[in-house]
Amino acid sequence: MRTDFTKAAIHRTILFGGGWLALTGADPAALAPGLLVSIAAVWLSLRLLPARHPLVLWQVVRHLPRFVAGSVSGGVDVARRAFSPSLPLNPGWVEVPIDLPEGARAALGGELSLMPGTLAAGSEGNRLVVHLLDIDAGPDDVILREEAAFAAIVGQTRTGGA
Amino acid sequence: MTLWLHILVLGLLASLAGALWRVWHGPAQSDRMMAAQLVGTGGVAVLSVLAALQDWDLLVVALALAVLAALAAVGFVKAQTPDSAGDPEETPPPTGGDRRSRAVRATAHGD
Amino acid sequence: MVTDLATYALTGLGLVFFWAGTIGLIRFPDTFSRLHALTKADNLGLGFIALGLAFQADGWATLAMLALIWMLALLAAGTVAQLVARAALSPPEEDEE
Repeated sequence: MRTDFTKAAIHRTILFGGGWLALTGADPAALAPGLLVSIAAVWLSLRLLPARHPLVLWQVVRHLPRFVAGSVSGGVDVARRAFSPSLPLNPGWVEVPIDLPEGARAALGGELSLMPGTLAAGSEGNRLVVHLLDIDAGPDDVILREEAAFAAIVGQTRTGGA
Repeated sequence: MTLWLHILVLGLLASLAGALWRVWHGPAQSDRMMAAQLVGTGGVAVLSVLAALQDWDLLVVALALAVLAALAAVGFVKAQTPDSAGDPEETPPPTGGDRRSRAVRATAHGD
Repeated sequence: MVTDLATYALTGLGLVFFWAGTIGLIRFPDTFSRLHALTKADNLGLGFIALGLAFQADGWATLAMLALIWMLALLAAGTVAQLVARAALSPPEEDEE
């Protein structure tokens, strides 16, 4: 528990400190107030959202290229459908049981909403409610693959899966 | 380059005008909200291009608009819940009926 | 200039995605499909435009700001799509047309 807290504090310090540097253009005169602001932001964020599932940073980095590729193909896919005269759509729903902590499930839903053909509409119990642009195209494997990636990011160990 | 960036801004504004049509026609409140969301993202794009044209300091305005657009959507969703204050997941989604649904087809690796 | 060419190409591509989002928003038949178009397309449009403008940036501080805006938009898009979809799924009782 103790190490979870330390890890989360370090991750969030990097996040908020980086945000401050980007906002101020790393102006040396802004560094001292930035230190205070970052500490205050980390303290507040740890109060509002206590550390529970520290992220495995290298897994996040490993996942990024696939996310960018998925987001681009998601945009291309939806643009193709929008421009196509015949409007190829066959929408429907699927509910996927997701074995992830609550925050990670919400993050997975957000990510799926940017991937081709899937749009999360929150969860019900432990199932993620997903809207599909084409119910017969079956991007189910994608959902399960992304779930495995998120499990790795929050440090869950899985049998099987990528 | 200056000419192209001006054309780009006009093109973006045209796409925003299309989104406003959806704000006008609805029909659901959610349709209006998501169209307003597109106006938010498009506004950020327009401001970024104007920043490139005039003064990069305008990027701060784009950032502020991005934050406000996100918060506007959160405010809308909170107002849509039964007690106008909470979590959209507090009411279970309607099942069956017009929701054409199917089970998950897991082919590759199971859970 | 190569950097100018990159700006033309990338911002043009961004504009195409913005239009795709708007056309999807107008043409798609139901609320949820429209939300797909909006979330995926205009987000990508903003990404390409930010990337294209980055080639005109005057320093790394500007690049950092563009990256910050893009990341914020990305994060907001995923979250907002999910929230609006859920709100549309269980509309309030007296939902007027």
